[in-house]
Amino acid sequence: MTHKKRRRLMVLLLAGLGLGTATALTLTAFQDNIVFFFSPSDVLANRPAGERAFRLGGLVEAGSVERGTGTDGRPAATFRVTDGAQAITVTYTGVLPDLFREGQGVVTLGRLLPDNTFRASEVLARHDETYMPPEVADALRRAGHWNPAQGAAPPAETWNTAPRDGRSGG
Amino acid sequence: MDGRLTAGTGATDATRPGARSLHRFANPGRFLRATGRLMPFLWAAAVLVLGFGLVWGLVLSPADWQQGETVRIMYVHVPMAWLAMGGYTGLAVLSVMSLIWRHPLADLTARELSPVGAAATALCLATGSLWGKPMWGTWWVWDARLTSVLVLFFLWLGHAALVRAFDDAERGARAGAILALVGIVNVPIVKFSVDWWNTLHQPASVTRLNAPGMHVDILYPLLVCALGFSLLFGAVVLARTRAAVMERRVRALQLARARREDAVA
Amino acid sequence: MTLHWWHITASYALVLGTFGALAVGAALRHRAAKRLLATLDPRGERA
Repeated sequence: MTHKKRRRLMVLLLAGLGLGTATALTLTAFQDNIVFFFSPSDVLANRPAGERAFRLGGLVEAGSVERGTGTDGRPAATFRVTDGAQAITVTYTGVLPDLFREGQGVVTLGRLLPDNTFRASEVLARHDETYMPPEVADALRRAGHWNPAQGAAPPAETWNTAPRDGRSGG
Repeated sequence: MDGRLTAGTGATDATRPGARSLHRFANPGRFLRATGRLMPFLWAAAVLVLGFGLVWGLVLSPADWQQGETVRIMYVHVPMAWLAMGGYTGLAVLSVMSLIWRHPLADLTARELSPVGAAATALCLATGSLWGKPMWGTWWVWDARLTSVLVLFFLWLGHAALVRAFDDAERGARAGAILALVGIVNVPIVKFSVDWWNTLHQPASVTRLNAPGMHVDILYPLLVCALGFSLLFGAVVLARTRAAVMERRVRALQLARARREDAVA
Repeated sequence: MTLHWWHITASYALVLGTFGALAVGAALRHRAAKRLLATLDPRGERA
């Protein structure tokens, strides 16, 4: 490598180092603004001031979903969003997304009322990173290895090569 | 030495005899010969692997237990996301080669790569939106993953526009290379956004080779589709680069012919 | 066809349509450049 090329390489490395540091510092500084939602623990420990709208996210607590009809005739639902440590009751009027179920991740947008219930104007479902055929999920449930309403699927290596009905796993 | 083939690009140190080892493929004639034999096989492999993968993903693979049939969008969405990020990393490597070694073929390849990379990123965003609406309940949210991929799309577009904005192709290539290298900080942000911050987008499923959180009947068609799209992406970029090399040669020959005719007249 | 299948169809059509167009465009441009080069440089010095 000639002298000129080595100098260009050094300039590039230095510029890269500076840029990387600047980016890391900026991201750290804006850490709180980059989160998409707050967990129930975040919200109860650090109550947002006034009636500010924010996003609350977590899992739908098992056995907490009550569906009904709102005063305007639209479907309505009440459920609790939990992060394991704390839970907040959410009320929502409108159509829930297809993936909504107990044990599923959700992100809701709305306001926290004075009685600590959360009035949501939007409910989004958050799906986890497990992908499995329905037959395999059924088999896990039948064998008592997993209740989707209670939490995440068992470790992937216990099911990701399980055969589907009448077929080999590959 | 083969200065004739680089006529019109200005003398670069790529054509100096001493720089040969690093520049085996900087010689356009050699590049055309080496890739010319490869092209038909690359096209054929891309079409075969992709055809097989898409039939597997669209018809033969199972539905997902909670997403149902909609999971099939993954077989096009995830390869586009991988190509958007992998392609951009490739663009950064080409930019280093351009800035440090003044590699003329790296400039040409980068110029032909960025429109294709922009297309892959746009498709990643579009298919993600089509997947998000039925599953999450929204076309778009401003979470860290989606926003950083949108930034990636603008970086691709910016590069494609910048390298074409200068009358002097070499200056355009230099400016584009600097933009591409500045933008590389965004690639780890895209990749790790789902781990560093909470997002609506789920974390990666295919992380470790031994136990991805994905059943093999869904994983294998995904990997075949990813390979097929990568081959097609590579074939398109290579064909465009070869065309660009030949077009440059055509311009040089036309210029030489015009000069000869002037001299005769 | 259900809404879900509409979304799947639209995704595949977008991706295959765009990549198909890119591939055909690249192949045509490649062929045109090759032909023009062959007429200007019939001895094929580049190959």
